[in-house]
Amino acid sequence: MNDLQTDASLDALFAAARAATPADLGAADRFLAGRFTGDRTAAWPPAAGRRRPTLRLWVSTALGVAATVGGLLLLRPAPAELPSSAAYSVYQSALGDGW
Amino acid sequence: MRALRSVLLAAALLLLGWSAAQTVTAPTSVGLPAVPAATPSPTDGLISALKKSLGAEARGEAVLELVFPPSTTPLRNARLLPRLASVPGLIRRNFTVTVSPDTVAGRPARRYALTPANPQAARWVIWTDQQWNVPLAYQERMAGGPLARRAELTAVNPALSRLSRPGRARTVRPGLKRALLSALPGLSLPAGFEPVGVHTRTGSAVEVLLSDGLNVLALVVSPRPVKAASGVGVRQLGGQSVWLVGNLPQSALDDALSRIRRADAEAVSGLPGTFGDPAASDQ
Repeated sequence: MNDLQTDASLDALFAAARAATPADLGAADRFLAGRFTGDRTAAWPPAAGRRRPTLRLWVSTALGVAATVGGLLLLRPAPAELPSSAAYSVYQSALGDGW
Repeated sequence: MRALRSVLLAAALLLLGWSAAQTVTAPTSVGLPAVPAATPSPTDGLISALKKSLGAEARGEAVLELVFPPSTTPLRNARLLPRLASVPGLIRRNFTVTVSPDTVAGRPARRYALTPANPQAARWVIWTDQQWNVPLAYQERMAGGPLARRAELTAVNPALSRLSRPGRARTVRPGLKRALLSALPGLSLPAGFEPVGVHTRTGSAVEVLLSDGLNVLALVVSPRPVKAASGVGVRQLGGQSVWLVGNLPQSALDDALSRIRRADAEAVSGLPGTFGDPAASDQ
């Protein structure tokens, strides 16, 4: 095989590699799904059992957010309750001067 | 002869008397009934004394006793009586007044007993000086009978004191009532009580004064709650707390607040500005 033939073969190979095939459709999704599950070799579509980690992650996140919001609401400082003498003081001033 | 003269003289006197009587009763003879001089009703008499007390007062030595609201010094001495913040129109509407003679600090007095139409409201007795027509003593009793407060002159100066700055009677403010019920929908004012004044207090709290003529209630809308106690009704509505304080049974205070659906903080904060200078209405 001479150099010219070798170049032509390589050109043909590259051209074939650049052409999209049905196998290329959804490749990015499959790659990302594999990254997300930590398995770069994951098959597409993933098996039912492999969707659970994603679901668990979402549930955990939702529960965490709910717990945070609930905690903030509970720990938020409520207006301090005034003693009943404050109410009596208001009433006494309503009675007028001299009391 | 002497007897005849006496008879003639008596006849002349009789004729003269009959003639004079005919002259005096002439209006009656033409169909107009005789109108006796009008005597003021006990209510009118009391209100005239309360009005006069806005410009003049008796002074001397007085004893003041305050049972409600509770205080550290319930009994103390003073030189004059605390002025009664009355609303004449509401006294006429809400109280039955009777009067009887009495004596206070050695001075002839009129004793006015006031019974409220609302059986849960406090009862009052007010003594006024018969000569000066100003209060010499008064007391407020709870609906069940115990004393709430009293003020009494035990010695009176020989002259009436004129006030350099006369006070003003409180008046009912219907517009304030409409705005209050709009800001606190479901509020049920105790029978006989009407809004007569409004103030802004510290901490963005708003206080509305309610009166039935003599008794006073303080309605407060505040971001801060207050501890409920005897004579203090409290209702928490979202971020607002509504207090009703006064000499009424606890159930009456709680009932007044129990049906409030919400507290419109913006409408409440606008109450004082909407109705002018509050000081003018609270004299």
